[in-house]
Amino acid sequence: MRLNVVLRYIGIVMLFIALFMLLSAGISYISSMDSAFYPLLLSALLTALLGIFPLIFVEHKGQLTNKEGFCIVVGSWLVACIVGMFPYLIWGGEFSLVNAWFESVSGFTTTGATILNDVEALPRGMQFWRMSSTWIGGMGVVMFALVILPSMGRNKMTLSNVELSSLAKDNYHYRTQIIVQILLVVYVGMTILSTLLLKLAGMNWFDALCHAMSACATSGFSTKNASIAAFNSPLIEMILTCTMAMAGVHFGLIYATVTGKHNNMFRSEVTRWYFAMLLGGSILIAISLFAADIYPTITSAFRHASFQFVSLVTTTGFATADSTLWTPFAILILLFGSLICACAGSTAGGIKINRLILAAKMMLVRLKLQQHPNAIIRIRLDGIVQENEMLHSVMIFIVAYMICIFLGSIVGALFGVDLMSSFSGAVASMGNVGPGFGEIGSMDNFSSMPATFKYTNSFLMLLGRLEIFGLIQLFFIKWWR
Amino acid sequence: MPYIHKFKRMTGLRKRVMIGFLSIVCLLFFSGMVSFVELNHLSRDTEDILKANKRNIELAKEMLDAAQEQNVALIHLAVFGNRSYDSLCRRSMNRLEQTLHVAQKEALEKSFLDSLAFATTELRLFTDNYLAFGTSSRDSLMTNHLDSIGSKWYIDEYEELYGQLTAAIKNYMTSTQSSLAPRAEQMKKNAYRAVTPVLISLAVMIAIVLMLYYFMSIYCVEPIIRLNKSLGDYLSFRMPFTVKADLKDEVLELKEKIESLITYSKQNNS
Repeated sequence: MRLNVVLRYIGIVMLFIALFMLLSAGISYISSMDSAFYPLLLSALLTALLGIFPLIFVEHKGQLTNKEGFCIVVGSWLVACIVGMFPYLIWGGEFSLVNAWFESVSGFTTTGATILNDVEALPRGMQFWRMSSTWIGGMGVVMFALVILPSMGRNKMTLSNVELSSLAKDNYHYRTQIIVQILLVVYVGMTILSTLLLKLAGMNWFDALCHAMSACATSGFSTKNASIAAFNSPLIEMILTCTMAMAGVHFGLIYATVTGKHNNMFRSEVTRWYFAMLLGGSILIAISLFAADIYPTITSAFRHASFQFVSLVTTTGFATADSTLWTPFAILILLFGSLICACAGSTAGGIKINRLILAAKMMLVRLKLQQHPNAIIRIRLDGIVQENEMLHSVMIFIVAYMICIFLGSIVGALFGVDLMSSFSGAVASMGNVGPGFGEIGSMDNFSSMPATFKYTNSFLMLLGRLEIFGLIQLFFIKWWR
Repeated sequence: MPYIHKFKRMTGLRKRVMIGFLSIVCLLFFSGMVSFVELNHLSRDTEDILKANKRNIELAKEMLDAAQEQNVALIHLAVFGNRSYDSLCRRSMNRLEQTLHVAQKEALEKSFLDSLAFATTELRLFTDNYLAFGTSSRDSLMTNHLDSIGSKWYIDEYEELYGQLTAAIKNYMTSTQSSLAPRAEQMKKNAYRAVTPVLISLAVMIAIVLMLYYFMSIYCVEPIIRLNKSLGDYLSFRMPFTVKADLKDEVLELKEKIESLITYSKQNNS
């Protein structure tokens, strides 16, 4: 493996991150040069210096191997999280080393969990940096860099293949360059559209942009301590619910729908299941809340239930109510939603509904095979026959996912965190959801949690974002021939 | 301008090494500057706190001295009937008020001085009343009666007020000291903020030094070793001189020149 080539590409990603730091410093400058200006400027300079260094030495030549591509993608995520800490650490405030690391990882992995007790005390520049990190992470740090790189030949394909989830590739029938452009167009387009709608709904420009970035990245970072509940506006909640729901759909399908292609999202089996799950879950939770007299009317119960359920299923984590106080039935459905999450090819994390559908189909096939042992039954998803290798990987992923959650819960409990917080924290971190239940509910944060719990959960966030094996493989890279 | 021109004329390896070292120098300079500025801030803050601390003790001491002087003068006046202490009594009272005025002017937290100001005003009224009573009525009373009335007045009325005043001065001293605690806490935070950019710069510098070492090793040291080995093989065993050079830099130039030399020597030999 050519380490110098790997460093060159990671350097490009760092330059890209430095650009966003500079942009945040610009926001800080516009906001009467608030206290975040120098920390952001300084961080941008340091990151740019670190990123430009390999570019001076290493020339662009040769084809990337799969191993190199893998190292570039995983390395870029790790380095992004490390340099993403710089502004927080230099600014100070509530950011100790562990807190800055947690916030940075939470941002880039679009988890949206925070350690901040008072988000509103952050200067605007720092707020914007939080949102930028999460917006970059939403599309994938390497994917973003691929868009701006003019010509990389087959290297672009190698990198995008590693970055994209294996399940996400099914709905694309284009060249790599076009796929990357589709992702960017849909992502940026959705962000601009929801910014405008939120502004029209009554938010100021800054809040509208920040919340749009956060919703499109399915992150859940907010500029308010009380998250979306601070606005107390059904219209804003409706816009954000739609944005979050759309951000959980395969971007290729959104593009196909907008451009009037045949294979649009209404024809997709996965998307239909996804919307059915959102609707079904919201109705069930609303009935449960109304029956328990938590909300006086069924409409207000549905309003909060749908927002909260869509927010958790799409791994966003925005909140309009403290769901920790809801009925056990509602909490269980929300936990189920946090486990399953949205569709592959979106910005959401989690197991993903595609895998759940495949697992369910495999179980049905198993039943049929018991009745007809000699039958040859093909499993299809969106009309595409799924290979055995893919089906195996789906099952292995689900098992590995559950094991990680189990281990994460054990570690949490080991360091004195209560069972509910520990388990829901592991589920929320692994699925990049953000808020859990108990002490880390939708209206709370991770600030009071032990440092070990924060480190464990940030590791789970990275595991979830890199779909488990991506990060684990890094430890076995020596044996990759 | 000549430096820029010279830099532009530099070839591969030299340019890269120069940029590498310039980056390190910039980071070192930058870390140094940040440390210098932040340490200056810190030193100024420390000095301010120490000065405020010293001033507070000085003012409290001055007030305690004035109060004690006033107390002694009143004992002589009230108990022993020594009228020569009238002026000392007035002087020490003025001194106390002046010091209080200075303390009020300089205080960051004025509320700490409220009880002291109240006690001083009370004492002033009390002293003035006593002195006025002394000039008008004392002469008409017999000396032995005056002694006993004065002692009773001192013990019953004045002593309690004096106790309140000294307690208020001590309270002012301790309250001001404790008000410095948040400033010291802020200093601690400032110290953290002062150190963090420097630490991060140093971490970045270490990363750059490691990268520089790695790049120097693969783009400079290894090609030279390969050149050396290949040239040695050619000279010893007449093996063909083949060295791979990755970059268009001095190493490539050297390689091409060695190849030309070998070709030239072959032509001469034949």
